[in-house]
Amino acid sequence: MADVYELNAQTGKVTLRDYTEAEAEQRTKDLAKHAALAQAEQDRKALKAEVIAKLGLTTDEVAALLS
Amino acid sequence: MGANAQTSVPAFADGQVLTGQQQTEINTGIPVFADSSARDAAFGGTGEKVLAEGQFAFLEDTNTTQFYDGAAWEPVGVSGLTYITQATPSAVSSISINNCFTSAYENYKIVMNLSAIVADGNIGLRLRVGGVDTSTNYVSQRLGANGAVVFAGANVLGTDEMYILSGISAEPRTSAVAFDMFAPQLATDTTCVTHFGALDVINGSPLILTWNSQNSNTAFDGFTLISTANMTGTIRVYGYQNS
Repeated sequence: MADVYELNAQTGKVTLRDYTEAEAEQRTKDLAKHAALAQAEQDRKALKAEVIAKLGLTTDEVAALLS
Repeated sequence: MGANAQTSVPAFADGQVLTGQQQTEINTGIPVFADSSARDAAFGGTGEKVLAEGQFAFLEDTNTTQFYDGAAWEPVGVSGLTYITQATPSAVSSISINNCFTSAYENYKIVMNLSAIVADGNIGLRLRVGGVDTSTNYVSQRLGANGAVVFAGANVLGTDEMYILSGISAEPRTSAVAFDMFAPQLATDTTCVTHFGALDVINGSPLILTWNSQNSNTAFDGFTLISTANMTGTIRVYGYQNS
């Protein structure tokens, strides 16, 4: 299965192809970056839950604080 | 010049016997011309109609219908937004549309509807020229709301791409985005503003606005949408009329 869908808007020609070597290199970097971003988001949520637990607040009380 | 193109808009005298060609010319409805020069030369000459208010014409070189308002030729049926192209990718992680940004329009609207994405994930955009993506000099700002919680952040996807959309695999059709792209084909900063939402039954259903800019002062002719997960959907590109 192809990785890339490429459309030429002038001619209407569609090309389905695999990544070029340079694109594959960029793809590897992108996947690593997005994995790190997802991990950071998970860490942030965990820290948030930890802080809320320390404060001893309910979810409704936190929502009221933030509204 | 096409088969229906005219070089004259004739007038006839009483009792004149018409040739087949002359009858064909008066039977074509709106006269067809190769270009505006041929149109202008076809009126007012010997044996030709005088150009007057209400006259229509079709130009082959621009595929436009025009009418004469008594002083100038004006376009017929031109809207503020003109369809340029659409892509219908299926199960790919990279979608490029080349040669969609031209000198015909300064600003563009792009509408993306996902019908499937195999995993939750953010979709980024890189501008490109000559079939090569640019992966530097991006800046972005996000402002979102999820229930009563408001959140914001700069460069959420880093500085190597624009942040366009977050796709939700369980409800892909709710992950839709319309965004405006300002001056991509000019050798100046390119700016992009998006607004989107998504139905996420697990994490809530956020509404997100993003502002993005690419600051290489490059004239781009296309863009690439990138996702960590394979995408299926439709991307339509429209140009805003300059005048």
